[in-house]
Amino acid sequence: MKLQFGNFHVKEIQFGTETKYENGVLTINKEEALAVVREDEHITEAELVIARPGDKTRIVPVKEAIEPRHRIGGGTIFPGVTDELMQAGNGTTHCLKGCSVLVVGKHWGGFQDGLIDMSGEGAKYTYFSQLQNICLVADTDEEFEKREQQKKNRALRWAGMRLAEYLGKVVAELQPEEVETFELEPVTKRTAEVQALPSVVYVMQLQSQMEESGYNDLVYGWDTNHMVPTFMHPNELMDGAIISGSFMPCSSKWSTYDMQNNPTMKRLYQEHGKTINFLGVILSNLNVALEQKQRSALFVAQIAKSLGADGAIVAEEGYGNPDADFIACVVELEKAGVKTVGITNECTGRDGGSQPLVALDELANAIVSCGNVSELIELPPMETVIGELQALARDGLSGGWDNDPILGPSVREDGSIIMENNAMFCGDRVLGWSTKTMVEY
Amino acid sequence: MKKAILYLNQFFGQIGGEELADHAPEIREGLVGPALELSKQLSGVAEVTHTIICGDNFMGSNQEEAIKTILGFLEGKEFDIFFAGPAFRAGRYGSACGNICKAVKEKFNVPVITSMNDENPGVEMFKKEMYIFEGGASAAAMRKDVMAMAQFGKKILTGEELLSAKEEGYYPRGERHQIWLNPPVSASDRGVDMLIKKLKGEAYTTELPIPKSDLVPIAPAIKDLSKATVAIATSGGIVPVGNPDRIQSASATKWGKYDVSEIDDLVKGEFMTIHAGFDPAAANADSDVIVPLDALRAYEKAGKIGKVHQYFYSTVGTGTTQGEAARMGREIAAELLADGVDAVILTST
Amino acid sequence: MTKEIEKAGITIVQMANLIPIAKTVGANRMVPTISIPYPLGDPSTPKEEQWKLRHHRVGVALDALATEIEEQTVFKVKI
Repeated sequence: MKLQFGNFHVKEIQFGTETKYENGVLTINKEEALAVVREDEHITEAELVIARPGDKTRIVPVKEAIEPRHRIGGGTIFPGVTDELMQAGNGTTHCLKGCSVLVVGKHWGGFQDGLIDMSGEGAKYTYFSQLQNICLVADTDEEFEKREQQKKNRALRWAGMRLAEYLGKVVAELQPEEVETFELEPVTKRTAEVQALPSVVYVMQLQSQMEESGYNDLVYGWDTNHMVPTFMHPNELMDGAIISGSFMPCSSKWSTYDMQNNPTMKRLYQEHGKTINFLGVILSNLNVALEQKQRSALFVAQIAKSLGADGAIVAEEGYGNPDADFIACVVELEKAGVKTVGITNECTGRDGGSQPLVALDELANAIVSCGNVSELIELPPMETVIGELQALARDGLSGGWDNDPILGPSVREDGSIIMENNAMFCGDRVLGWSTKTMVEY
Repeated sequence: MKKAILYLNQFFGQIGGEELADHAPEIREGLVGPALELSKQLSGVAEVTHTIICGDNFMGSNQEEAIKTILGFLEGKEFDIFFAGPAFRAGRYGSACGNICKAVKEKFNVPVITSMNDENPGVEMFKKEMYIFEGGASAAAMRKDVMAMAQFGKKILTGEELLSAKEEGYYPRGERHQIWLNPPVSASDRGVDMLIKKLKGEAYTTELPIPKSDLVPIAPAIKDLSKATVAIATSGGIVPVGNPDRIQSASATKWGKYDVSEIDDLVKGEFMTIHAGFDPAAANADSDVIVPLDALRAYEKAGKIGKVHQYFYSTVGTGTTQGEAARMGREIAAELLADGVDAVILTST
Repeated sequence: MTKEIEKAGITIVQMANLIPIAKTVGANRMVPTISIPYPLGDPSTPKEEQWKLRHHRVGVALDALATEIEEQTVFKVKI
């Protein structure tokens, strides 16, 4: 499989009469863009707002982030989700780099939604503070979940994907400023030199805890709760085969943007043919029942072993009971003789004194840690809020609360906030961006 | 200028050797022995105003009295920080430093700092509760060890950023927090580099050392179930509808107990779950799936157990810190003991 | 919680789906349940079956309380 990303580096976004891209400037015809958003009659209100790095802006409740893209030669950028199924990962896809579509609730948030600060102390907690963001601030008529803590956010997330696809079209006919090529030969057809290197698989454990459909990560539109681990080409996964779900405390979540730009996959590609033979990706999940966890771990270990993997990197999208999947997977791989590194975050509590993962095993002896979900964060007010600040306190965001006996409410009258790291939008960046680690005091 | 007080044993307090280890606690204004060096090292930020001296055996065999006396000395004294030792490899001295530091911290809520060699048993006993700096094996390391304590004390007193245990040089206290790496290295680079090292058989350092599990002694089996009172406890968040105790649906710090002495079955509309970590539909429709009161009642009627306890106990397990969970566990255990409960079925979700 | 109650000398059995977690947190007597959201009764099965399963597993838990053990033990269930 050979995938080429044709990149366009967006340096500035503005509204104008015509949606176009020129010399690093993305101009958006707001009405036309909002018409795409409103194609779904469930969208009741919608507005576009631009948030730039350095702005004194707080964005909450953020539900999703997507990189605008366009598939050359036809077909949707999210096969099986926004349009018909097709193979992703082959051919050319044009990407608007340095920017993202952020899907923001106009009022209502939930357990799975997060917060972004575009400047100041809070900016370092999320990746998206360094991007030019097109915020789609919208509301829906999905009354059944308006007051629910767990939200599927279906209309909003799909509107975000349509908007990303609409914006991506502006570079359909243009010559990319830069081309990145990702190509792997079939596993058994590689040169002797490459085959002589240690073989490595990358295992992604996607969030799949909800039994009911609509919440979990999707692979080609398929609910990851209903899959068993399978072998996939990394190109598919960077090219829209997976989309983020709407479940899990937000800092542990992987947004669709993260999936599209997976830094660990890119680093493994860089090492391919030099220090390692990158076999590909084993896509796994994080179901709830113990038997499902064990089954997935066994499948992963078997696939890795049958492919001849010498090493593996396992990344976990979540914490709490998913730690049991993570540890089980690492343990089964190690038992199969596959040397394994795990990447995850921890939950050591506000005081730092809790056990880092709920399940542990001495075979998990090489772990990269990306942060503590329950670290307390206090931030000053921001001049502008995109969305609704009260959502952090009112709507059961995983790192917010309406009234803590000692700390008071998460959102204070002056607009300053106190929250757990949990509510930082995709803040722990276990797919590889995290420059956080954990140390003992 | 901030004020510091130092604790020493009879030997370093220049009273005498082993033969004077029964020396009762005393406090002296000014500097004795290592206090001179400590005060010098603290200069500019703090001075040592008093030295406390106590014989190691006195502290060992009359610990309560010794601590009470020393806390009495400190009552009414102005001080911002408390030091003890360094104790090097001396076991009794290390234990004494640990005990007095712990007591001073609890009573006066000031920072406490001590220093011990890694073979000093005091390290294992007290490292989770205070800053114990990694010290030398003998008094030859005095200057270095005092300097380490003083440098860190100054940082605390001036509000400077405190680094990790490893960077500062004290024994890790079991508190893990997130930091940003400087220079920044991404998790993808750390992960791939770690894997390459592991594949080559080279040394690497995990960022999450697996702690040794610490088990509690197994409680004895119930001899005669048919006479036993059995209680149900749960971390699944089952509460009466309306959540009267306002238990949090995640990161809980509260627990509730609910009288079920008149109830045989938890029915829909009366009980529900407030746990945010899973789909609540099943538990809201029938809370017995988490708190199996109906089944336990059946065993009570059949005579398999003596009695179902009057209350069941409930909290929420998701995101709850171990510290909070342990506290709630202790509180519930105390009630169970007082009520004469013999056995507990705990359901977790 | 289990550990603290056991520490107080009260015999305790933990009924949990995620046995690896129960083991890691230090439970000594363990009985497996069928899932996280509905540990003791699958709502997609008839009430009768849910009751049978719950009655059986609570029975195993009671027997576990009356069984001397030497190490962390997971008690086997039949349904």
